[in-house]
Amino acid sequence: MEKITIKINGKDIEAVKDQSVLEAARENGIAIPALCSHPEIETQAGSCRVCLVEVSQNGRTRLVTSCNYPVRKGLEVRTDTDLVRRIRKGVVELLLSRTPDAPVIQKLARENGIEESRFFVDEGEHYRNRCIACSLCTQVCEEVVGVSAISMLDRGRDKSPGTPYLKPSQACIGCGACAYACPTEAISMTDEGETRKIWGKEFKMVTCSVCGKPYIPEAQVDWIVKTTGKDRAFFDKCPDHR
Amino acid sequence: MEIDIRKIDEIIERYDKSEESLLAILQDFQHTFRYVPEQGMKRISEVLDIPESKIYGVGTFYKALSLKPVGRHTCKVCTGTACHLKGAHTLTDIIGKELDVEPGETTRDGRFTLQTVNCVGACALAPVVMVDDDDYYEGSSPQDVLKNLRKYK
Repeated sequence: MEKITIKINGKDIEAVKDQSVLEAARENGIAIPALCSHPEIETQAGSCRVCLVEVSQNGRTRLVTSCNYPVRKGLEVRTDTDLVRRIRKGVVELLLSRTPDAPVIQKLARENGIEESRFFVDEGEHYRNRCIACSLCTQVCEEVVGVSAISMLDRGRDKSPGTPYLKPSQACIGCGACAYACPTEAISMTDEGETRKIWGKEFKMVTCSVCGKPYIPEAQVDWIVKTTGKDRAFFDKCPDHR
Repeated sequence: MEIDIRKIDEIIERYDKSEESLLAILQDFQHTFRYVPEQGMKRISEVLDIPESKIYGVGTFYKALSLKPVGRHTCKVCTGTACHLKGAHTLTDIIGKELDVEPGETTRDGRFTLQTVNCVGACALAPVVMVDDDDYYEGSSPQDVLKNLRKYK
């Protein structure tokens, strides 16, 4: 861990070499809006483009996505220049035209002074609900959960996450990590009684022996036991009563 | 179309058991079966140890791969800028009417799949209609194209 000093908005900041600009900024209380970045993911996709900042290095200034731009010695970052604001506004406007019904995007639009997107809002065939196609859900499923039950399907304006053959996935364990990670709450997951429904599949939940609350899908317990060798009895009680 | 699992295995056998072989195998499926069958993707997942989700993702990504059987012949109408100006859309409509399909669909007898493509890189020959991999019909009037299409069985 090599400590270096960089400048963010004119202030000297201590950061760790190769950590992302976004991370370094947030650790120092400098807010940068971002949707698709997640600390548990190895490679930040940088696909939502909301976290754009201006960086200057070796006399060159340009816009980069701060979530996957590594901190290096002598880096100067500006998070709130006219250019950043203008480009980010355009980015958010485009997002709003694709996902006009996502509360997170609506909020971001308001914060960036957008009342209505100037762009065509497609509510027909290519309507994608709240999904901004950032692929964070599929990354979490692969990297964090390790089951790869979903992937990004199709491309261009039809790109969206889904299960193989659009059928209930054999690999899915119903953990819901994709739904929790989704920045725009686009993935539908419902818990009713002892049944969880997600990606068109139903999962039976394990009930806590103390409070009687269904709290984890059986399939997820099977997966954890199989991959970590943890004692199955551990899951008799929910985290609140262990 | 009945898919022979031995034929699937035969194709997979030709390649290294690594993720890099995925696209080549899918292309061979497309060539052999005229589509990428679900059983084929399942089999790749078992043999190459790649998650089915990834294989299906690749299968839906490439235009050259189809998850539904395509016709014995593909008729591609170029709708690039030059062809567009030379009436590619009228051409598509007329061919579609003759074959009784919309672009992207396959005739009921499985003879033709009609597609519109963005550019085949032969703008000087506009409007261009391509049949299968090697037949180009250039500067065609709709009548010429329809006459030519009848040659394909």
